[in-house]
Amino acid sequence: MRRTSLAAAALVLTAAAACAPRMQPVRPIQANGAIVPSTQDETIARAHTEGRAERERAAAEQDQTVAAALRACSGATCDALARGQLSLGMTREQVLAATRTGGAAWEERGAGFVTTLTARDDGRGPRDAVAEVAYVTLENGRVRSYAYREPQGVRLVASAADATPAAQARARAEALRREGDDFALAGDFQRALDRYDRADVIQPNDPETTLRIARALDKQLRPYEALIRYRLFLHQLEIEKIRAYGDAYANMAGAIAEARSRIIVLERNGR
Amino acid sequence: MNPIARASRRAAAALVAILALGGCATQVTRVSPDQQIDLSGRWNDVDSRQVADAIIRQSFESQFGSAWATQFMQSNGGRRPTVIVGTVRNRSMEHIPVTTFVRDLERAYLSSGQVQVVASAEERDEVRAERVDQQENAAAETRARLGRERGAQYMLQGDISSIEDREGGRRVVYYQVDMTLVDLESNAKTWTGQHRIKKFVERPRFRL
Repeated sequence: MRRTSLAAAALVLTAAAACAPRMQPVRPIQANGAIVPSTQDETIARAHTEGRAERERAAAEQDQTVAAALRACSGATCDALARGQLSLGMTREQVLAATRTGGAAWEERGAGFVTTLTARDDGRGPRDAVAEVAYVTLENGRVRSYAYREPQGVRLVASAADATPAAQARARAEALRREGDDFALAGDFQRALDRYDRADVIQPNDPETTLRIARALDKQLRPYEALIRYRLFLHQLEIEKIRAYGDAYANMAGAIAEARSRIIVLERNGR
Repeated sequence: MNPIARASRRAAAALVAILALGGCATQVTRVSPDQQIDLSGRWNDVDSRQVADAIIRQSFESQFGSAWATQFMQSNGGRRPTVIVGTVRNRSMEHIPVTTFVRDLERAYLSSGQVQVVASAEERDEVRAERVDQQENAAAETRARLGRERGAQYMLQGDISSIEDREGGRRVVYYQVDMTLVDLESNAKTWTGQHRIKKFVERPRFRL
């Protein structure tokens, strides 16, 4: 009887052991209780040394660039340098000084007399006092044009007039109008109107924006607001001036005719 | 009962009482913070320190593709990038205090001199309240000015996940800590660091 019980118990134990997951012995990598000093301080000290060396090198390069930039500057270029802003006619050193960058920030490509400086890091490129710089084109070592990367796209500055705040506003409004046109094309007049409104804030009294707002309101079946905008558009165009200038405004003739006809229709419907 | 037997009985009782009292006394031993002591197998200071060590190493050593701070300095005339510490989410089933290794990481960034760290969303509320208070109560020449906060270029975010497998008295637990540095303007992930910990915990079947 006792033998039978023992055999049964042994059988149960063997079966239980057979059911347990099989695996190679566990290999510890650290013994419990062992003293393993932290490596943080060593890593930090090494990073500190490397960081200081890099900062000193960058500062020395920056000093050299600024000195060279100031030696060669005059008048408006000097003013732009002091503001930290790019301007046409600057040299390569002046571009680096104005953007407070080193050569490592730019990728230089050139053929003949023309060289293009492009931001090496797409995500976080160099910037001047105005905005992030997308690229700078140099002709015979002087800046011929440069472009800013702005929320509405790339804005090119190729003449002194393009660099003024008014030109900046015009370019931004133009970009917003383009964006609005894309929404209008997709049938989303609400978003299109939002972009046109923003363009109107940046560059007020622009007939092109007003006409687009009028059209978007008209398509949204908001006749009273559309009527006001159509009238405003005609007013902004200063019809008399258009007549006087004749062909100069010929390209707007279609838009004027459209605005007038819509005014008639909307007025009749409103009665 | 004779007096000798009585005396020896009393002595034995006193000895038992002393032993029992001695056994109940709390015993405290100070040990080095570097000593790795695992008791339950759950997340502890050793894990926190190992994660901090690994993530800090990965943050600064270029073999892990982490030259982001140096690249930033090169692109910006030696200016250092500014980092804000965001949220480190605990996606495991365990309670894991993340503040310990996050603070280690902040200290490393600051001490390295390669990165500037600004106060996180939680910390700056108190600072802002103090600044606003100064506008009313501090002398004009000593007031901290408003609107002079430094904006960060990058945000450090992370999460901790764990996988557990258990059978009888044996348990395998795996932790993965992922840290990511996100460009605040472009959402681009500039750097990622990872550390993994695996533990095998075996409990005796019979315990007192």
